[in-house]
Amino acid sequence: MLTLYRPGTGWLHRMPAGPKLLLILSVVLVVSLLPAHWSTAAIAALVAIVGYTVSGLGPGLRGIRELGHQMFSLRWIMVITLVSQLIFMGPEPAVANTARVTAAIVLAALLSLTTRVTALLDAIERGLRPLERLGLDAARCALLLTVTISTIPVLGRRAAEVRDAQRARGARNNPQTFVIPFLIVALKHADELGDALTARGVR
Amino acid sequence: MSAPAIRLKDVGVRLGEVDVLQNLSLDLQARTVAVIGENGSGKSTFARLLGGLINRTSGELSIMGIDPARRAAELRRRIAIVFSNPDAQIIMPTVAEDVAFSLRADRLPPAELTQRVGAAMERFGLTELAQRPSHDLSGGQKQLLALCGAMVRNPELVIADEPTAYLDARNARRVAEHLLEDAGHRLVLVTHDLALAARCEQVVLFAGGALVGLGEPEEIISQYEAVLAC
Repeated sequence: MLTLYRPGTGWLHRMPAGPKLLLILSVVLVVSLLPAHWSTAAIAALVAIVGYTVSGLGPGLRGIRELGHQMFSLRWIMVITLVSQLIFMGPEPAVANTARVTAAIVLAALLSLTTRVTALLDAIERGLRPLERLGLDAARCALLLTVTISTIPVLGRRAAEVRDAQRARGARNNPQTFVIPFLIVALKHADELGDALTARGVR
Repeated sequence: MSAPAIRLKDVGVRLGEVDVLQNLSLDLQARTVAVIGENGSGKSTFARLLGGLINRTSGELSIMGIDPARRAAELRRRIAIVFSNPDAQIIMPTVAEDVAFSLRADRLPPAELTQRVGAAMERFGLTELAQRPSHDLSGGQKQLLALCGAMVRNPELVIADEPTAYLDARNARRVAEHLLEDAGHRLVLVTHDLALAARCEQVVLFAGGALVGLGEPEEIISQYEAVLAC
């Protein structure tokens, strides 16, 4: 599982997962809907900074340091978004859109930084429960989301193993020779995960 | 004498065009049973069959009085399965959450859930690691977590398919001790480790998808070693 959760006692940590999800979703939505102007970049940056400062992630500059850490991990997304839009749309929309996307992602990360996955799983399950009248299996949907997220780092590790195995046999990094063995490994993992879920009583 | 915990009569399993298990008839009553044999002999298929992960093609099968093909959900509530690869068995991000995940379907009151998870982690020496990211653990710790996640449900039967395959000697020993201890569960242990098999009360030997030996560990392991020596 992507372990983004940071233990803490701040107000955002203490807030129930459901309302927190709605609050963060609303802020992300507002930032996403801002127009593509220079001012948007400043507003998006300000909202992210304020969000991390007041969220109670920890004492002193802990929130801002966490924001820096999140931004660093997004550096390539920021570069790709900025460069591609600079080429096709010009500087103002490129900077505004990049700022909006970055702010939306880092603000969304506040949810996973301050909420245990179990609490999130419960909140999603509760939120989806009214849809059970329409035939939706809320527990299964929530579990699907959890398992999907949990699989990302495992597949990342499997990809590294496939690359190492290829290098050990003298092959260069080549997408064509990487894709098929990785697909096989990923499908095998899916089979094993299915068995493990069944074994742990999941229908 | 009570009915055997596991009873198979003329059971066959066909996967695609291959008969992976053929005419299997046996009664298992011992508390701990080891399943040995070469790769491809049908051991893991046997374990998956007992765990209700695959269905038989023919014959009759009863596990603690339950036919897995008809009452799979009930069977899964009473058994636990542990696989060789712990990575595929860990679902939740932290150790404590992963152990609690096994009890999720029971919808226990929070206090009881915390108590049972805490007790299980203590039993498996995972208390200090409770808040650690599950996937950052060592291989041995991951397998202990997988085992803890299986045992927290207090299963009547544990089916372990090469649970020590990826572990060093120390961790393999720890996992084996937990599996073999008498905590009120029966054990079916698929293993290539003959020393571990020798510690079980009964041993089953497979070859080519068929049962070729069933009995006391010494006798069956000697039979297997004679085959290996050829």
